[in-house]
Amino acid sequence: MTNNNKNKKFNITVKSNTKDLYSFMKLVPGRKKRIQKASSEPITSDPMNELARKLHPERQYLIIDNIKDETKTTKTFKFIPDPDFETKELAYFRAGQYLSLKVEVNGVLITRPYSISSSPNDALKGFYEITIRKEEHGFLTNFIWDNWSAGTEVVSSGPEGFFYYEPLRDKKSIVGIGGGSGITPFRSMARAITESILDAKLTILYGSSEEDDIIYYEELKELEKKYPNKVKVVYILSCEEVTLEGCEKGFISSEIIKKYVDVNNSSFFICGPQIMYEFLDKELKKFDLPPKKIRKEAFGEIKNIDEFPGFPKNLAEKTFKIIVHQENITKEIPALAKESVLVALERAHFAPPSKCRSGECGFCRSLLISGEIFISPIGDGRRMADKKFNFFHPCYSYPISDLEMEIPKDA
Amino acid sequence: MLKMNEQEDEDYKVIIIGAGNGGLVATARLALAGVKVLLIEQHNLPGGFASSFVRGRFEFETSLHELASFGSESNPGSIRKLFEDTLKIDAEFLEIPEAYRVITKDLNVIMPFGVENFINAIEKEVPGSKESVENFFQLARDINHAFAYVGKSKGNPDQTVLLKEHSNFLKTAAYSVKEVEDALDMPEKARAIINAYWAYMGLPMSRINFTIFAAMVNSYISKGAYIPKLRSTEFTLALDKKIRELGGNIMYNTRVEKILVKDGQVTGVETSKGDKIKTNYVISNASQTLVYNKLIYPKSEVPDIAYKEVNARIHGLSAFVVYLGLDASAEELGINEYSYFIMGDMDTEKLYDEWKELGVPKGQATVCLNVAIPDCSPPGTSIIYITTLFSPEAWANVKPEEYVDVKNRIADGLITDFEEALGISIKEHIEELEVATPQTFARYTRTYNGVIYGYEPESWDSVVPRLMMMNEHYYIKGLEFAGGFGRQCHGYSSALNDGELAALLVLNKLQVRVRSKVDE
Repeated sequence: MTNNNKNKKFNITVKSNTKDLYSFMKLVPGRKKRIQKASSEPITSDPMNELARKLHPERQYLIIDNIKDETKTTKTFKFIPDPDFETKELAYFRAGQYLSLKVEVNGVLITRPYSISSSPNDALKGFYEITIRKEEHGFLTNFIWDNWSAGTEVVSSGPEGFFYYEPLRDKKSIVGIGGGSGITPFRSMARAITESILDAKLTILYGSSEEDDIIYYEELKELEKKYPNKVKVVYILSCEEVTLEGCEKGFISSEIIKKYVDVNNSSFFICGPQIMYEFLDKELKKFDLPPKKIRKEAFGEIKNIDEFPGFPKNLAEKTFKIIVHQENITKEIPALAKESVLVALERAHFAPPSKCRSGECGFCRSLLISGEIFISPIGDGRRMADKKFNFFHPCYSYPISDLEMEIPKDA
Repeated sequence: MLKMNEQEDEDYKVIIIGAGNGGLVATARLALAGVKVLLIEQHNLPGGFASSFVRGRFEFETSLHELASFGSESNPGSIRKLFEDTLKIDAEFLEIPEAYRVITKDLNVIMPFGVENFINAIEKEVPGSKESVENFFQLARDINHAFAYVGKSKGNPDQTVLLKEHSNFLKTAAYSVKEVEDALDMPEKARAIINAYWAYMGLPMSRINFTIFAAMVNSYISKGAYIPKLRSTEFTLALDKKIRELGGNIMYNTRVEKILVKDGQVTGVETSKGDKIKTNYVISNASQTLVYNKLIYPKSEVPDIAYKEVNARIHGLSAFVVYLGLDASAEELGINEYSYFIMGDMDTEKLYDEWKELGVPKGQATVCLNVAIPDCSPPGTSIIYITTLFSPEAWANVKPEEYVDVKNRIADGLITDFEEALGISIKEHIEELEVATPQTFARYTRTYNGVIYGYEPESWDSVVPRLMMMNEHYYIKGLEFAGGFGRQCHGYSSALNDGELAALLVLNKLQVRVRSKVDE
């Protein structure tokens, strides 16, 4: 209020003095009347929660419909809804996303993220495909090779992850750099492009160590032939002897990239083993691209954390104790420094929620009560407030002292 | 002596459903009073809408633009008092530099905080408007005084005192903003500037109740606005920590599937993990809509009047947010203000109707977080979020396979509108982009139909009648509500304040019980 009217109190009249006061007096009786007059039918529809459950189901109950051998170490598993459970339709997804499968291996419940290799349209038709390569000492893949067959029931998450083409952000020319089984999300993207789900062009630079290891060779050839302006695949082989025509030898170097790609007018998507990421980091650095042009699929479990800068190497072989609180249960478990806290929890038959196993999704987020952890410098997806209040992601954290922690329990 | 129907063997004195703003504060406040509490939250972290998420190098604030009722150290508001004096939580808040910049087809003005500065800025833009705007703020102050008086009277105000000393409050309580601004003879252009905050109410000026709107505008302008330094997760985790320290229990990843009721009295809850937990008191941060239609068990315990109440009220809107992590700083991009209201014009009726369809709404409230928190993202980058509103019904027929295209089309349009309003370009700087729709809000909070704005505060169902009828909504004994669907209408500070009120109401009931025991 300004000085000159400080003492003059302003009195409002909206309609008239009587009407204004009367309207006030009528507020409560009027509201009561409106409530009394309303319907007493319960509300049964909630379209936004229904859409949310379709797009992001908490779980999908699947069974294996059939298994196709792709190479001598790779199989494609076709999943359909399990008729014995409530999953009737499969969630649609964005090409490049993954499913987190939950599998019990010899009494230990674990999760693994696998890129969906089929087209988003296939989900509408009622199936997903996932292509898995058998790892030499793979805890899960050995089990899968021995146990999975048509009819096997598998529980999956909804589609997850952020490794997809985003038209408002990315260049229309996509370069997919895939190493080994890292080709799988690009098969889905290639399909999405040729089926006109995505309006983009995809150049795949596909690195393999042996010719025999190349997955989807015939299939991708066909797509290239049918859609020459939309999909191109360049094979890069690191083995000594190469018989494949038109392929490149060695690793995916900046020279090879330059040869096939308009570097400054492309968005790069990278999916492959850790060693390829390390190599490509150096190669792509030569182009001085802004971070927005390079997107990497979440890493998955780190196999050599003890080789990362900053990791206390002297502790690598040490086993620590973790006191774990999960709701009303408290238990002490052993944990190897070079294995993630999540793996230690799973070995001890705790099965906290987890999906990406890359520090990104936040499902395993836990409270560190005491002790020291080494957090992977890549993929530290903690919120700033998580850091302040000691929350961390067990999937990307390694014990370097005895710990006490509180973990979530699956819903 | 136990009250009728209450059981003796309870597991918790009070169970709180949902760790949103209202639920967290209610829990912390009860724990502070030494009550044995359990807070149950379906998500794996607290906050509800008050949250944040990480994409690449950026951490985005989910929904908060600015916190009202916080105030400075020397002029603290209710939320600062609650956080710093009552609960003593460990969270840092930063002041937002200016109120907002409003850009319409015939307005482009930066509004300062401070009532006098604000009035002068409007007068400069709209000569001759000063008296009407001063009177607007006078009414807002009178409303505050009246609330303070009603609060002191513990809900039993003396009618003669109200009539004599708070007549401005009484005489505007039943009217819309438009009706009162008409009576104030406020020029259209001045209204357009003041009414810009309507975006935080989400209903047209002809329907927003004056009391709640004036109180909100006055709170922002007189006390300034604040934002948590480490996003909303900072204060929600600080509340989580405080609750634990005070001996409260919290269960995350757990959904309350049923509120168990027997003979009109709450007896416990049943969770998604199959546990039945006994209690005589439940405070629900979930809305009345969800509680009566989904949670009360058995359904026969829900009286008709409860359904009628929910059906009489109008569910508010949901939101659509474009979160942008940009690889250029705010200065480089030419973004100098924290908060922008960009509207085609101030025809709020028209815009409200646009929100019922899947076009690009010509109205947005956009924030550049770096202007208040310069280091909220790495050097040389910035965070912007563009918010508009939608009626959930607009999205009801979107098929999963169309969903991304629909949201991207709208997001693209909103970014373009922002660029054009400021005469800048940002699209080529998008490093991270996320788009939240009504579906997203439903997904993470399970709020009914993704609604973020509670029940619409039309005059008949605004804060005054809600508070006056506060004691008439106890259809089930032991059931209390807290949060954005509550007595004080929606918004962060309302929900936080309502959480405290819910706790105090339950404490009151518990103490009555304790006393009657001692009396025996």
